[in-house]
Parts: sequence; C-alpha cells; structure tokens
Amino acid sequence: MSAGPYGALLDAVRGVRWPAARRVMGATLGAHPSQLRGNSSEFSEFRPYRQGDDPRRLDWRLLARSDRAYVRLTTDRATMRTSIIVDASASMAFPQPALDKWRHAREIAIGLAAVAHSEADPVGLAIASERPIVLAPRARRSVLLEMMRSLDATTPAGSASLAPLVSTVRAVRVVVVTDLLGDMDALLTASRLRIATRSEVIVVHVVATEELDPPGDAVLAVDPEAPAMRRVLDGAMRAGYVANYTRWLDETAASLRSAGVRYVRAPTSELSSHVVRRIAGESVRRGA
Amino acid sequence: MTFLAPWALAIGALGAVGMVLLHLVALQRPAAYVLPTTRFIPDQRTLVSRAATRPRDLLLLALRVLVLLAAAAAFARPVVTPSRGAVARVVLLDRSRAVADPADAARRAQALVRDGAPFALVTFDSSATVQPAPAWDTLSAATHSTATGSLSAALVAGRRAAVSLAQRADSVELVVVSPVMSGEIDGATAQLRALWPGVIHLERVAARTDTATSWQLERAIPLDDPLGPAMSPSRAQRGRAMTRLVRGAPSPADSAFARAGGTVVRWDTTSARSDAEGLALGDDVIVASVVRMALPVGVRTRARWADGTPAAIETPFGAGCMRQVGVGIPQAGDLPLRPGFQRIVRGFLQPCGVVAATQVADSATIRALVGTTTAKASADVLRAGSELSSPLARWLLALALLLALLELVARVKLPAEAT
Repeated sequence: MSAGPYGALLDAVRGVRWPAARRVMGATLGAHPSQLRGNSSEFSEFRPYRQGDDPRRLDWRLLARSDRAYVRLTTDRATMRTSIIVDASASMAFPQPALDKWRHAREIAIGLAAVAHSEADPVGLAIASERPIVLAPRARRSVLLEMMRSLDATTPAGSASLAPLVSTVRAVRVVVVTDLLGDMDALLTASRLRIATRSEVIVVHVVATEELDPPGDAVLAVDPEAPAMRRVLDGAMRAGYVANYTRWLDETAASLRSAGVRYVRAPTSELSSHVVRRIAGESVRRGA
Repeated sequence: MTFLAPWALAIGALGAVGMVLLHLVALQRPAAYVLPTTRFIPDQRTLVSRAATRPRDLLLLALRVLVLLAAAAAFARPVVTPSRGAVARVVLLDRSRAVADPADAARRAQALVRDGAPFALVTFDSSATVQPAPAWDTLSAATHSTATGSLSAALVAGRRAAVSLAQRADSVELVVVSPVMSGEIDGATAQLRALWPGVIHLERVAARTDTATSWQLERAIPLDDPLGPAMSPSRAQRGRAMTRLVRGAPSPADSAFARAGGTVVRWDTTSARSDAEGLALGDDVIVASVVRMALPVGVRTRARWADGTPAAIETPFGAGCMRQVGVGIPQAGDLPLRPGFQRIVRGFLQPCGVVAATQVADSATIRALVGTTTAKASADVLRAGSELSSPLARWLLALALLLALLELVARVKLPAEAT
C-alpha cells in the first residue's frame, strides 16, 4: 500500500491503541472489551449456576471439590465500527493557498482511521461536501487507501451539513473532523441522538492559527460560505474579533461536552499525529 | 505664451497637491481576505483610513493630477503672444453706387497697404464684409454695387477687425476710402465714430455723377394734380432725357416718343376707395392710403407693394421705355406733401436708366468723422475688454476630458483597493 503524503503520519501513529470508551456490543472478535461474556480463554470470574445456563460452561472440577455448581465466566472482545466524517465545506479551505485546515483535517482523519484499522476495527469515511461521499466501514486492508484517494480528490467548497451524516453513518464510534462553522445546532441535535443510542461521538475541532491570530494589516474579511458578509478587520476591530472568537470556542466546547460529545480542539499548529495520539490516549485514560 | 487668468493655474496646482495628499492619506476599502470566521468581527464599517509615505495608485494619481492641471491651464486662458509691429491698418473701402470709379478706389486702397504693415480690408455698401485675403485684381475689376453705402456698418466691421489686428500692433489706423456721401451717414454713425479711439483718415474718391437731375418732364404737371407738389421744386434744367406722363392708354404718338428714346409713364387716375398699403421703390419705403391698381406683366419691376407684387413695371421700347404705375393716389389728403411720397413720385417719373445720387457730405460732417485727435487708435485700448479666443484653451480642455476618460477606464481596470 502506498501512503503517499501520509507516510510520515502513519509511521508516527504506528502502535497507538485506541480502545473504546465503554464495552462494545459485537460478536466479531476484536480488541475492545465486549458486553458479552462467553467462553473465551480470558477467565473473568465464577457465577453460581442458574437454570437455563449452558451446562457445558459448568466448572466440573469446582463442582467435584465443593459440590456447588458454578459457571465459569470469560471476558469477550469485539470489534468497533468507526466512521470518520470530514467537513469539506468552503470554510475548511483556509488559509489560501496552503489550505492548512483541510490538510490538517485529512491527516487527522487518516491517522485515526489507521489507528482504528490497526485494531481490526471496520473503518468508514464520510466527506461532507456539496456532493457527500460515504465509504461504509470495512476492515479490509485497502480501506485506508480508498479513504486517502477520496480525501485527496476532494476540494473544500460550498456549504455542507454534517448532521445528516452523523445521523446515518453505520458506526458505533463517530468522529467528526470539522471547524464547527456550519449548522452547529443541527450537529448538536444529531450528536445527542447518536449518543442516546450508545454510540460514541468525538468532535475534532480544527482551528487555523490564522483564525486565532489573523494578519496584522487591515483587511476586508470575506466569509467564504457567505460572500455577502464583508467586514473590515484592522487594529481597532482585532480585539473585538479575538474576544468574540475565543468566547465562541469556549461556548461551543462547553455545549458539546454537556451533550456527551468528546470535544477535541486541533489547532493547525499542532502536528496531526499529536492530535491522533491525544485522542487515542484520552480514550485509553477514559477506558481505564 | 501668457495666461489671462493665472489664478486658475494656482487653483489647479492646489488641487493637484490636494490630490497627492489624498493618495497619501485615503479612506479606502482594504484588500479582500477570505476568513471563515468573519462573523466574529464586529460589524461597524467597511472603510479604513490609512496614511502612507508613498502615494498609492501612481497611475491613477498621475492621470488625476494631469486632468486637474490641464483643466486649470485651459481655464487660465492661455494665449500665444504674437510678435507686434508698430502700426496696423484697417481700410474701409466703399463699394456702393456712390463711387464713380470702383477700380480707382480699389487701387488707392491697395496703395495704402503696400508698406507691409498688418492690415484688414473691409468693403462696404449697405453692408460690410471683412475680406480675409483681398484679391486686388478682382476688386479692381468688379463692378460697383447698386446699393447705397452705410458708413455705420463699415465702422462696426472695422472696429471688429481692428480688435483682431490689435494683437499684432501697438496702434491701429483706420482709413476710409469713400466719397463720403450724405446718404451714407445715418443716425448711428456719430455714435459709432465716437467709439473709435483715434483719428480716421479719409481717402476721398470721386463720387458718381448724379444723372437724376438731368432730365425733365415733357409737360409740366398742374399744381392741382396730386403729382404736382412732388415735381414742382425742380425740373428746371434741360437735359437729354425726357419723360412723358400719360393718363390712360398710350397713343401711337406716345409709342413713337418712347421709341425715340423717351420714357412714357402711364399713371392712371382712379376714384376707387383707397386702403393702407406699403410701397417700396429702391431705398424709399412708405405706408400710405393709396389704391392698388392691376398691372400687366412687365419686363422689369420698378416698385413693389409690401407683399412683393409689382407696383410699377417698365418695358424697354426702342431706345426708350414704357412704364406703367399701379398706384392710385386719392384726391384728398396730405399724401402728396409727404417727402417720402414725393421721392417715390420722382422715382416713378425718372427716365429709364438715370441714377440718383445723394449729396456729398458737408464739411462739418467730414470733420466730425475724421475726429479732433491726430493719434492713431491705441492697440491696448482696442484690446481692453475684448474676449480673446485661443484654440490652445480648447485643446487643453479636450485633453483634460480625454485624461478623465482614461482615469475612469484605469479605475475600472485596477484592483478593488483603488479608490
């Protein structure tokens, strides 16, 4: 498999584990603790036999020694379907011409997909653009390459809604890589519904350095998704802008967290591999 | 080159400096910058002022400054100062019927301008014409006009030509080549003469002989005839030309008289009711209560009614001519005593081919025309108050308009940050 520009990223995230935040429901053998307890080799505990239990799971030796019937319980592990939704609206094409936000979002998506794929989880991709692209979660080896091709072939433009994709993707773990400059309320509603169905929703908020610290010269700022919105950003306006933007960042993070969404801010100044490790590492801590 | 309104140049220069300052400190729309978080910028204004050490938009600035300077230069009324001579000359050449020998008059006018000084030639009869490039041969060969002369018209045209000549000389001399007949002087002549700020030189030429006094009626008109008062003061001299007045259709004897060189004037009497009519014969016009009588078609029209129809006609007949007058004179009234009517009556009764001329102006009139001063008219006095028109101003104004158009095009073509 040729990783192209993602080679260094894939090397950097090799060996990273990304466990589920809670036990998963699934029959396919995987890396995540399953809600089911079966007869695998990983012993967990004994439980008194109850009517209806499979007699084959009785610990006969214990019955012989103590004359009491116990059932031997083991811990099962399962896979976790993961879908990564990438925002490809026009606001992600920033700053021009480098498009750091879009590059950062792609690398985070590929990095997370690679980590999940390394644990044998089926991984899918959805690109939220004017013509959405959806790759269903698969565990086959070529899925990463397909994701890379789809992302590389996409140019952020127009406006796109993330909420429908959050509602419809078939996955237990949904990662949304976005700048949250679209329809925030709809995304929040869809995320709440998703979480209510025992899914895990992670929002990776991509923030460009230039958004936090815009150019010093006076400019006529133009919103790429609403070209009619034009405002002067100069020294006098700068303080107000920074205050408004910072307040919005905090309020957005708070509202997402209160809805049960994992919120991870990913500034473009941070290496995408670091962001991936941060997301996965936080999952490890939460799982522990 | 000089500027008649240099203050306009100063205003233009101030405007140019102001334009440069505006390009240094300008309220402008800054460069567009795509920023997804534009919504967080306080929405207050879309223009910012920015001071710079170097002017922005040098092409636009250059065009705007040039527009201002060109317009200012145009409004400053630039004139190219010509080289001046000591004296210029305006010659008023009489071409009226009063001049006995028009060729001689033209030759004498030509002799006046042979010294090479700038000159303007104005020919006049009842109207005056400035000859921009006089063709002396043509003037000498031309026949004289049949109109009476008007010195007033000549003086007006002469002054206008003198104002133009004043740009090229320190003083202007006005010369009138004319017999100066009393008929050429009217009520406005004295006032127009007073407007000329110098002496007027007279080059008197011979007046045409007045043949109108060398004819007589074949038979005297009774004093109780309405035509009597008009013919009573003169007709004492005997000449070759003779006029026979007949009432009613001419007889064979009248025809023989006309064929022999005489003039037969048929002027019928009428008792029809008169009405107010306008009548014109040559330069004489009257409005009187007369009777309009029908006339046959003639070869020449001697007089006309106000509506243009013939009032008197004449037809050559042998060596003389036959004339018929269609003007009925009422028996009662003072019309025969009015001088204007008497002149018209004499015109009707004149033999065919005679010319009437007015008297030569008297010496007092001549002295008044020449003036009391001996100095030529000063060019400065003539130039004062005259509007000089320079094509340079028009070209500068056109240049300013063209530059303004270019500025408009450049503003459209240049990027959006330009103001």
